[in-house]
Amino acid sequence: MLNQKENIIKSNNTINNHKIVIKIEHLKKSFNGNNVLKDINMIVCEGENVVILGKSGIGKSVLIKCIVGLIYPDAGLLKVFGKEVAEMNSRELNILRTRVGFIFQGNALYDSMTVRENLEFPLRRNKTITDPHVIEELIVDALENVGLVDAIDKMPSELSGGMKKRIGVARTLILKPEIILYDEPTTGLDPLTSREISNLILKIQNKYKASSIIISHDLNCSKITSNRMLILHEGIIRAEGTFDELKSSDDEWVRSYFKID
Amino acid sequence: MNLNIKKIFRNKAPKSNHKEFDLSQFKNIENFLNEIGGLSRFTGNFFRVLFRPPYEHKELLKQSFNIGLNTLSLIGITGFIMGLVLTLQSRPVMAEFGAESWLPGMVSVSIVREIGPVITALICAGKIGSGIGAELGSMRVTEQIDAMEVSGTNPMKYLVATRVLATTFMIPLLVFYSDALSFLGSYIAVNMHGFISFPLFINQAFDSLHYFDLIPATIKTFFFGFAIGIIGCYKGYFSENGTEGVGKAANSAVVISSLVIFIIDLIAVQLSEVFHIFTI
Repeated sequence: MLNQKENIIKSNNTINNHKIVIKIEHLKKSFNGNNVLKDINMIVCEGENVVILGKSGIGKSVLIKCIVGLIYPDAGLLKVFGKEVAEMNSRELNILRTRVGFIFQGNALYDSMTVRENLEFPLRRNKTITDPHVIEELIVDALENVGLVDAIDKMPSELSGGMKKRIGVARTLILKPEIILYDEPTTGLDPLTSREISNLILKIQNKYKASSIIISHDLNCSKITSNRMLILHEGIIRAEGTFDELKSSDDEWVRSYFKID
Repeated sequence: MNLNIKKIFRNKAPKSNHKEFDLSQFKNIENFLNEIGGLSRFTGNFFRVLFRPPYEHKELLKQSFNIGLNTLSLIGITGFIMGLVLTLQSRPVMAEFGAESWLPGMVSVSIVREIGPVITALICAGKIGSGIGAELGSMRVTEQIDAMEVSGTNPMKYLVATRVLATTFMIPLLVFYSDALSFLGSYIAVNMHGFISFPLFINQAFDSLHYFDLIPATIKTFFFGFAIGIIGCYKGYFSENGTEGVGKAANSAVVISSLVIFIIDLIAVQLSEVFHIFTI
């Protein structure tokens, strides 16, 4: 596994022959004088699933929103595919956003559109495909990946929580992103559906070779999906390692995250 | 002596409360100025994205259709009642002066110049402004606007520009529609106490109208429409604090746009008076 301390960074963009897709150094962000992110340093390599664990309200979502330019950091370096996000113009940012998918905590499906229209929306705006048959094929393909072809003409209000989550994933997958950011993908779901979503994340990683950052509180999801885990605490990355490494850490505080009462 | 000084200092204690009071007043002024600044920046952004491709024709047509169609019945009913009531209320006074035959002319000037545009705009502020505020507000709190942004679509262009353009061009049409139904209401009211043929009624009503009545009244309705759209979008777009924030956004969209409609009307009346003097 990729342990930062043991690795030799050969160049700015590779680590142990793995291409770095996200590089964050000394990132800071505050809201109304409240320092949410104090000094974040992390990297994500190509094809790697990184889970970020931490208490609620600690700034995990803020961190991934910075990556797609929804929030701008106060200081520090944030490079995605080797380019500084803060220095991108709106055209470059739009291009970046087609390469980075974002799955929101509340799914953020457009509730005035059907499932088909939800999937069609990013496709028509970002790809040069105009042939309706090709668009239909891509939509069906994305829905097949999440096992919900039957829901194609349904409205989001007719779907269950787990189905909405899958449609959110399908909408992101349709642009074939190279990085996927999951904001608490299993929150509010029953254990069975959570497991299904976790397996889906793993399936996507294997099929599309996409890198992912997964924000989660769910230990089962973290165990299934993670190649590497980070624990965010008081605005810094306090611990880093694989699931098993962190679970059996010498640090009592780190182990406390893995205790089940 | 020392004791007296202490007493003086003690008596000075309420002064700090007075300072606090002053600060809170400044806070209100600061909030008001922030709101004006925010709305101005938002309007600037609207004009910045408006002329840049891609143009959202489909969404603009959809919004225009929704705004027009959904308000048609409400505007129709209120317009009809407005004409009816205005005629019924004015008739006794006109009859006292033996000027009943002037009713169609008086009603048409009142409706076309002032009552029609203002009442229609106020109803639209309530229905359309609150609808836009609530829709964009709920899209903001459920992260749909963020989702749109990360999928490479400019929400300012797709959501805001289309809605503001739709209100700007649909409100004048709704005002025409409302005016027409007001004339119908007025015609029925006139016929309740006597008889006048419809062609004669229309002839008398339009005889009293001049281009000077019609043109400024039409121009100001575009501004009413723009104000309703931009304020509704602004309040919804920056809505926060969950569902409570959505309610507040819808409510303040109505309150502020209603106030702005009266301010625009006041300015329009003053300007049209000035132009009228110059054209005489």
